Amino acid sequence: MSPDSGIKWRNPLFVWGGKRDVEELPTIPFRSHQEVWEKTRQSKTKLIPVGRLRYYYKWPGHGRTMWNRLRYWPTRRRVLRVRGEYNPKTLRAEKTIVDKRPIWWVLGLLALAIAPLFTPGDLQNTLLTAGATFGIYSAISLCWMLIMGTAGVFSLATYAVVGTAAFVTALLAIKISLPWWLLPPIGALVGLVFGGIIALPATRLDGFYYALLTLGLNELCRVYFVTSKEFGSANGGLYGATTYVPEDWSQLGQLLLAYYACFGLMLLALLLYRFVNGRRLGRILRMAPEKREAFAEATGVNFRQARVWVFLISSTALGFIGGFYTSNFGGVAFSIFNFDTVLLGLAMLVIGGVGRAEGAVVGTLIVVFFDQVLNTWGPARFIIIGLIMLLVVLYLRNGLFGIKAQFRAWRDKKKSERRSTRAEKGGEMLPEEATETDDKSIIYQRRYDKMTRDHLKTLVSPEIIEEHRHSLNGQHSEALERLLIYFRTRPQVEKYAIMAVERFEGYRIVALSGHRGVAPRVVEDRIYSTPDEACHGVFMRRVQDLLES
Amino acid sequence: MDIWFIVSNTIVLACIYGTLAIGISITWSSLGLLNLSYGFIFAFAGYGAWMFAQYVSAWGPAVLAAGILAGALGGVIICAVGFIPIHDKPNFTIRGLIATLAINLIGTQFLLWWFGPRSKSLPEIFGNWSVSLPGAVFTADKVGNVVTSVLMLAVVLRWMQSSRRGLEIRAMMMNPHAASIVGIGVRRTSFYVMGITGGLAGLAAVLLSQTYYISPFGGLMPMIKGVSIALCGGLGSVRGAVIAAIVLGLNEALTGMSIGGRYVLITQFVVIIVILLVRPRGIAGLLDKAREA
Repeated sequence: MSPDSGIKWRNPLFVWGGKRDVEELPTIPFRSHQEVWEKTRQSKTKLIPVGRLRYYYKWPGHGRTMWNRLRYWPTRRRVLRVRGEYNPKTLRAEKTIVDKRPIWWVLGLLALAIAPLFTPGDLQNTLLTAGATFGIYSAISLCWMLIMGTAGVFSLATYAVVGTAAFVTALLAIKISLPWWLLPPIGALVGLVFGGIIALPATRLDGFYYALLTLGLNELCRVYFVTSKEFGSANGGLYGATTYVPEDWSQLGQLLLAYYACFGLMLLALLLYRFVNGRRLGRILRMAPEKREAFAEATGVNFRQARVWVFLISSTALGFIGGFYTSNFGGVAFSIFNFDTVLLGLAMLVIGGVGRAEGAVVGTLIVVFFDQVLNTWGPARFIIIGLIMLLVVLYLRNGLFGIKAQFRAWRDKKKSERRSTRAEKGGEMLPEEATETDDKSIIYQRRYDKMTRDHLKTLVSPEIIEEHRHSLNGQHSEALERLLIYFRTRPQVEKYAIMAVERFEGYRIVALSGHRGVAPRVVEDRIYSTPDEACHGVFMRRVQDLLES
Repeated sequence: MDIWFIVSNTIVLACIYGTLAIGISITWSSLGLLNLSYGFIFAFAGYGAWMFAQYVSAWGPAVLAAGILAGALGGVIICAVGFIPIHDKPNFTIRGLIATLAINLIGTQFLLWWFGPRSKSLPEIFGNWSVSLPGAVFTADKVGNVVTSVLMLAVVLRWMQSSRRGLEIRAMMMNPHAASIVGIGVRRTSFYVMGITGGLAGLAAVLLSQTYYISPFGGLMPMIKGVSIALCGGLGSVRGAVIAAIVLGLNEALTGMSIGGRYVLITQFVVIIVILLVRPRGIAGLLDKAREA
């Protein structure tokens, strides 16, 4: 707005003849604050939700107590992790089930337990055999998960342990005709010895070095067993061991017995996983993941010893499974040492997610389904499993069960991206701040302040500044008056004030601290010769602050 | 006579396994990727050479070149599928290991599906002559193997010493982060690295197929030997890989001579475990801290 716009403000006090009064001053046309209000309300910017939602279902609270803690009897462990709290808005008691995994576990295991009742007749043979295989392989996966997930040692010799135990027990069962119930304990002994042997290098090596070494160990076992005569190099395996499945039962009965026996083995493995991973040993080991061993050691964790313990425990369990394998199938084939078996086993862990029991079980279920149920597909089924494994590794951070965490991380990233696309904040609260403020009136106060400032910014013009320089006190034009009223209502903190350096000669501008006993801060070096000049200087600074806000 | 036989066997095995091990070492130290899909690259290169010999020309050097090129192509494929998508994602090292294993599974099963389980044999690349020296007879394939692999390694090492791409790769080996800051793109360099190491694997595949055959799973044993040599020599060290290749080649020749081929892997792992128990990072391995910088 140029000074020639012709709009004048008439000083109503002029007729009284004040010393510095002028009759007319150029000013700017009236501008309604309604414009800013409308503009804010009618904003057509695409608003993308960035706040926080409640992702948990809130169960209603109940009568006397806030929540009941159901505990497993003699332990202090709770059945479900339930958090009780009062809703700050409605003041009602609410319960949140923080960890729903126990519920899913119970449902899943129940489904597996009753699954044989619902298998279609023509697929019964295939499905029950696959189910038994699934039980054994998921037990192996769970023990392997203890080594790979809990202990964090990338071992590939798992199937070597299982296979060795299975071959040794099969040989013993055939040579000295051991009963079937002795095979698992003997297998456990073999596993313990084998575990001790492979734990030896694990004390010195980690990561890749160990992975490569165990890969080689697996191959070593394969070559040894395949070429040795006593282990049946002629007929591709060792068969004829005693088995717990009675021969005089019907075929369905045999299948069901094998299915439930393998299911029981899986439950035992789950129990072992729970007892190692969820208790002291597992906690110690999770404190010392790879690359943080030094830290763990500094805090007094003897992670080497803990790793050796996990090795021995899970190798013993793997040996037990090997013995069970023999007594289930009545023998064992060399294919257990195949590189592809190791790869499929690794696929089971990786697809589900390393470090989780549910990952091991569900991953095994997926792999066994493709491997056993679709066994007419030939090499294509391995290609499918490999593709699933590859896609999971390429696109998921920690398998299928890591999707939730990964999705949340992605969503948080998106939210922060959207937040940063909002270039103008102007002191207003952002949505995610607003949802976390208890005093909601602050939100509206800040928003009102923002709109006020937006309006006042449109009033700042050379005419107004000139008018203020000319007459500090007395009557002002409407626009200047609005600005001044706004400036006067600012809080005390950082408010500008004038300090007399030397009375009637030197004045400078300071900013008040707003706190008792804390001296004001000098904001500029300039010294004004009169109070009026200093006053106009304060006005200019405030105008600048307003325009910059 | 025995001495010469052991020495010549040692040299031949050391040359072939060393070629593979050096490829694995270079991949690991420059890309941080432990490529466990060498079994697939190996078989892929073997089948590439076989198809070339079958349909184009059975002339030895051309078949050799076809094998090397097929290996390089396999390396580039693995780089594109298994390295590029995850090299900047969290937990890359373990995921890279698993991804290459998955590619190995898919690739070998695909080869099995396409070419069938019967193994193929390549024509005699180096002819059928032999040289008799006092005390030893050197057959064509042995001499050819040694000469070719030494030549190829010399060319690759010379290329890495003197060319601009080689300089980039060596910079990545020293410090990948700093290399990327000064403009050595990880992705572009990774294609060169994987191409070169795949070519080395292809060479080893063609050379080994002179004594063994080409089959979908035939790459497994050479890969395990190459990996264990790289491990024993110290991942990331070319010098260590050469030393380890000689040590393990000697071990293999001695075991094969004295107690029988069955026990080769057993003695080999005993040697490796003993070496690794004494030096956990291999014979000439870098300390982890030196690489992380």
